[in-house]
Amino acid sequence: MSYAEARCVQCGAPVVPADRFCEGCGTAVPRVRRVAVPARAVDGSAGPCADCGNQTYAEGYCTVCGHRRAQPDRDQTYLDGVALITDRGLEHARNEDAAAAGIVAGRMGERPQAIAVAVCDGVSTSAAADIAAVAASTAGVDAMLIALTEALDPRSAVLAGLADAAKAAAAAGSGRVDPSLSPSCTYAAAVVVPTAAGEVQIAIGNVGDSRVYWLPESPTSARCLTVDDSVAQALITAGVAADSQAVRAGAHTLTRWLGADAEPVPWSEASVHTITTAERGTLVVCTDGLWNYLPEPNDIAQFCAGTDATAAARALVDHAVRAGGEDNITVAVIPIGGSS
Amino acid sequence: MSSTGQHTVSGIAVDVDHNPYLAEGARTVDAIVTIAVPSDMAVDKPPQRLEAIVIDCSTSMLSPKDKFEEAKRATVAAVDEIVDGTLFTIIAGTEKAAAVYPPDGRPVQASEATRAAAAHAIDGLQPGGETAMGSWLAHVRRIAGRHPDALTHAILLTDGKDEHETAEELGEEIGLSEGEFTCDCRGVGTDWRVEELRAISSALLGTVDIIADPADLADDFAAMMRTSMGRSIPDLTLRLWTPVGARVAFVKQVAPTVEDLTHRRVDAGYQCGDYPLGPWGTEERDYHIQVDVEPAAAGREKLAARVHVVGGGETLGEGLVTARWTTDTARSARISRRVAHYTGQAEYAQAVQDGLAARRDGDVVTATAKLGRARKLAEESGNDEAVKRLDAVIEVDKHTGTARLRRDVAAADEMALDARSTRTARLRKEA
Repeated sequence: MSYAEARCVQCGAPVVPADRFCEGCGTAVPRVRRVAVPARAVDGSAGPCADCGNQTYAEGYCTVCGHRRAQPDRDQTYLDGVALITDRGLEHARNEDAAAAGIVAGRMGERPQAIAVAVCDGVSTSAAADIAAVAASTAGVDAMLIALTEALDPRSAVLAGLADAAKAAAAAGSGRVDPSLSPSCTYAAAVVVPTAAGEVQIAIGNVGDSRVYWLPESPTSARCLTVDDSVAQALITAGVAADSQAVRAGAHTLTRWLGADAEPVPWSEASVHTITTAERGTLVVCTDGLWNYLPEPNDIAQFCAGTDATAAARALVDHAVRAGGEDNITVAVIPIGGSS
Repeated sequence: MSSTGQHTVSGIAVDVDHNPYLAEGARTVDAIVTIAVPSDMAVDKPPQRLEAIVIDCSTSMLSPKDKFEEAKRATVAAVDEIVDGTLFTIIAGTEKAAAVYPPDGRPVQASEATRAAAAHAIDGLQPGGETAMGSWLAHVRRIAGRHPDALTHAILLTDGKDEHETAEELGEEIGLSEGEFTCDCRGVGTDWRVEELRAISSALLGTVDIIADPADLADDFAAMMRTSMGRSIPDLTLRLWTPVGARVAFVKQVAPTVEDLTHRRVDAGYQCGDYPLGPWGTEERDYHIQVDVEPAAAGREKLAARVHVVGGGETLGEGLVTARWTTDTARSARISRRVAHYTGQAEYAQAVQDGLAARRDGDVVTATAKLGRARKLAEESGNDEAVKRLDAVIEVDKHTGTARLRRDVAAADEMALDARSTRTARLRKEA
């Protein structure tokens, strides 16, 4: 793994997770770090309106020409080898996906680092779905990181993340008169914790139709770890053929989601799975904007073999955009095993 | 698909209903904006209110003989609804305006004693004289001017057309009274002019109606006064921000009645205009706003208008009218159900007024076409009351659909059709 992107918050010098203090300035390196996409636009820091040069905005709209502040079409970030990319795609006016990733750095020679990732897809039939997606993904990762620093097992960490993400998504809709318009989103999360025996424990959990794929180096065992909460999946589980008209029609109708209008606990124990592996490979967490174009695990695996997380994530998102980009596309790529 | 976005800032809900999607190069954005004042809306200090009732005392009020008696009974019924502490005064209208109660013309606070004294004074009224409504308005305006902190509302009753002054003189008095007080107008019988009373009520943010049978006056007057007593929120203003390069095509109230507010715009700083809405109770009103904006590229989003509801210098509610350009014609071609409905209602009101004017001028072809169109619009919008009123004036052949003017039309039916043409069938937002 490459740690090149991690930098000291004080002086910007490169740091590695094992560093407790920055080699450059001596500032303590936080054990827990988190990144998120899309980067939140701050009203003052956005610079002038690209259309008229005016400097002020109200609620994201230029106060002179009315244009919505241009969001970059793509936003990407890296954290200790984990790559996150979110892209507006081609058809949607705005990106309502969000993702976050965090690490707990191992103390020198003690516990190895743990990784937590969450990806959310704002439900476009709800209002301000992007707010729910940002809130749920960051709250979920924060809760997982806290659980991991408390040395809870990966499964408990994923459950803690689900609980906080659900609360955050529901709170994003507070103050609205009509609950059916409440911001809502999907949620898919993964926790990766190496064990003392040299294996890796992976726990995943999801609500909605965002997915987690486990793609080991041996391509025959590539598989999707999550089960969609969608009408299509419910039909397939009930025995309806996967290529039938009914399944295709219900492909994107969610049966569970996070938000103020969701069930209080929109997941079950069965929503969380744990695997332990000694294999090297790649974990991919993504929204349907990607898997619509690459439905089979092996399709995704082809983009990840023999390259680093950053290149793989870019190749995957580029593919989805080229294939039509009908939805927002968000991908998190996490290399597993073989850490340097 | 229609989009709905609701904002609630300090109590007043502003709801925007529109199709935000525009085809490439399109520049017209239509939205129905619903402004709702909730029942628990806190008013720090309820304003002092002043009620003025102007009762026509021209000689014609003597015939038929029960007309004046009913007018007096109605005035007393309205006085009975005035809440304790409200300032009020009763005015007799002829070619001039004269104080009936209090005799010195200075409004008094309502109480059991003053209401009884007013009833006694009203009972003693004797008709005699002509009709000059401009002088009545001037009288109320002078009283309102002496009570600048009060919310002044007038009820005006007449049975005849404006005489003893020119139409220009009346128009000038209406203009001077705009913004000074609000006024509901009623015509009793069929010898008055709908357009005269509508000119007053429209400018003074009130209602107009015909009371063909004098016996119905009392209930109507009591109801009018109750509505006024419920209006405890002082003047609200609709403040409209539009982007540079945009033009406000129109701002219309479309429910409960159609009222074009476009020309009432007062500039309110950079890119903003104010439209006065008058006093409010616990109620909802719908507005149709059409803005012409500079198109943006497909995939871009723009704010076409920002609606603020301002009261007492504070923003009490906000709604955003957005526009998104798209190459997907299935999205851009949709018309919001409510925009379509209220466009039809506004067209209905205009068709009725134009049709009746043509009928009076003897232009049968135009009258038939306009009134036939009005009937079709009323039918389409499910406005059964309007269909019934139109059927009193035109006949439509069930088989051929051909419309024909009726020969014998009761004056009261024609005037009711005219006076109530701006009343709309409300179309609520879908749940």
